[in-house]
Amino acid sequence: MRVAKKPGLVSGGSLLPVLKNRVAFEVARGIKAFLNVELGLIRGETPGAESGLTDAKADTREKDTRVRQLGQIGRRLAGRARTVAEPAAGDGAQDNRVRPENMIWIFGSGRSGSTWLRSMMSDMERHRVWEEPMVGQLFGVFHKQAQEGQLRSANFIMGEPTRKGWTRSIRNFVLDGAHYANPRLGPDDYLVVKEPNGSTGAPLLMEALPESRMILLVRDPRDVAASVLDGARKGSWLYERKDKGRWKENALADTNPEAITRRRANMYMTQVGNARDAYEAHEGPKVLVRYEELRADTLETMKRIYSELGIPAGDKDLTRVVEKHSWENIPEENKGEGKFYRKATPGGWREDLTPKQAGIVEKITAPLLEEFYPA
Amino acid sequence: MPVYRQNILLEVARGIKAFLNFEAGLTRGPTPGEGGGIQSLEEAHKRLEDRNRQIAELEKKVRESRSDAPAGDLKPENVVWMFGTARVGSTWLGSMMDEPTGHTMWHEPLVGALFGGFYYGRGAHRGGKHGILGGPDEKRSRAIRAFILASAHEKFPEVSGDGYLVVKEPNGSNGAPLLAQALPESRMIFLVRDPRDVVSSNLSGKSEGGWTAEAYKRGRRQGTPPPSDPKAIVRKGAKKYLEFIGRSKEAYDAHEGPKVLVRYEELRADTLGTMKRIYSELGIPMDEDEVARAIKKHSWENIPEEKKGEGKFYRKATPGGWREDLTPDQIQMVEDITGPLLQEFYPEQQISRAGV
Repeated sequence: MRVAKKPGLVSGGSLLPVLKNRVAFEVARGIKAFLNVELGLIRGETPGAESGLTDAKADTREKDTRVRQLGQIGRRLAGRARTVAEPAAGDGAQDNRVRPENMIWIFGSGRSGSTWLRSMMSDMERHRVWEEPMVGQLFGVFHKQAQEGQLRSANFIMGEPTRKGWTRSIRNFVLDGAHYANPRLGPDDYLVVKEPNGSTGAPLLMEALPESRMILLVRDPRDVAASVLDGARKGSWLYERKDKGRWKENALADTNPEAITRRRANMYMTQVGNARDAYEAHEGPKVLVRYEELRADTLETMKRIYSELGIPAGDKDLTRVVEKHSWENIPEENKGEGKFYRKATPGGWREDLTPKQAGIVEKITAPLLEEFYPA
Repeated sequence: MPVYRQNILLEVARGIKAFLNFEAGLTRGPTPGEGGGIQSLEEAHKRLEDRNRQIAELEKKVRESRSDAPAGDLKPENVVWMFGTARVGSTWLGSMMDEPTGHTMWHEPLVGALFGGFYYGRGAHRGGKHGILGGPDEKRSRAIRAFILASAHEKFPEVSGDGYLVVKEPNGSNGAPLLAQALPESRMIFLVRDPRDVVSSNLSGKSEGGWTAEAYKRGRRQGTPPPSDPKAIVRKGAKKYLEFIGRSKEAYDAHEGPKVLVRYEELRADTLGTMKRIYSELGIPMDEDEVARAIKKHSWENIPEEKKGEGKFYRKATPGGWREDLTPDQIQMVEDITGPLLQEFYPEQQISRAGV
């Protein structure tokens, strides 16, 4: 569609001498530079019909461009549809979508034993794992950082006036993501979502998936801080692995351990605090697990977890997975100070933290410490 | 592709006119004037009909190929993104584009910040199959597309058929490539402004008494207030420009749908001409009278005097004002940080090297 009608001055009928010169040459693949010059004399009024021809030519050029653009877009979308359909080919993408009631979310905080718990659960029959999708981070942190004015606005993508709509969008987003990450998940399979580092978004996720199951896994915040401090020291596993937490750049565990302790305690408050809020509001099957209980009597705690979540689990199977993933079965060379598997000793913080560091954690996490670990 | 056109007509004697038509530029298709071999009006009309039919078929095919998201009646190709960064005139342009009948503005959804902030920032390390935005581009794009279209439908159920949804998203431009990939048939405006003027405007708002600083002071905004040190404000502003304009450019370069690059300075100098170009290049029909009314309504002159001036949201709207506003050190800092973008979009402007 042409927007502005420009006077078409090129004429055919009643013309006096006209000079026309058109030059075009290719400057890059598929791109031409052009120069058109026309000059001359014309008698009488500007011919309407010829003016119409100029406009029609311009319109045609614009339509040609649109045809090319749409062709390109159509080809891209067709390619996308093929790629997207592939994982579900033959078994129907919609039928194969994860059943929300079969999702088991593990929330809490990092260094609380979530890797151990999900390892045991992943070896149960018909269980699969979605490993730290961070979808709770994606939505939770963004929502938490929003200004009050934004939250009140219907324009804001996560504004309160349209909460119902975007909650439904989050639900679809999560279910689609779960399907793509686990395309072979059967209709009766369970999907264990290990999401401790996405716990900031736990309330939003549980609101979006009210029928799913939830495990709130907590650990004494002082032991959590001690574990992080150990891992972040120069040469330790957190410090040495790819620098996602900027541990090397900051090197705080060695230069300013109090700062990293404070940061970690604040993170614990946000993550465990939000996970706790989600747990309280959640109406689907749920269970609260303390890491210390899991360490003290793993089999009984696992039985309790499955019982409270309403998932059938035989004693034999539970005994098998508990045995397989026991602390004793981790090779000695993979355990110890500075390693991912460190000491697994509740209360170890008394040896690991200085009184000042312990005080920092206790002050910041006081409400949760009091709730989950009353003196 | 850029085209320069000039048509001149003047009467040299009674009933005789001299004319000069001049066109120069770059094109991917047939060169203007070739007209694809069109010789007559009848032939042109036939060709137009044929193209209209092809476009209708292709649009149908594109709609069928799109994801099964609950998009309502909003056509994804009628979503018009406005990317750039803050303080480039997007509020002004958005206000004008909100006026024409059938056009609706989605004011700063920040959906680009939602996905871009995670994908390029705090979630960048979760790129594998398990990461929520990890794995193949197709998977991510499909999920984002469904999210955007469902949200748009939820918020603007009235936009349907031939209606356009103009999404003013300067502060979500850090996610522009993700949004454009998710909606390849959508339309895009890339709005740029001289980074020195952008930073200068930013500095005015964040300095003591400025509108941003006051918003924090009066509790209308929460979180960490902007730094009070002008040097820190300038550095932060220039880095944001680099990131947001950089991502917008990345999206613009890759986008295959209709798109247009607009400089704020052009919009100020010739608002009607630039608006006509925007609609033309985006392939959106416009009513010139309606647009002219919108321009008048939202002109600088029509903003009440008490709302304009130093430290206010509407400050001075004067391209090149940075020469008076910034110190030589501040100018140098902005030029050092935004150098490649400054050279690209304002090549005619010599980098001052703070020698002003």
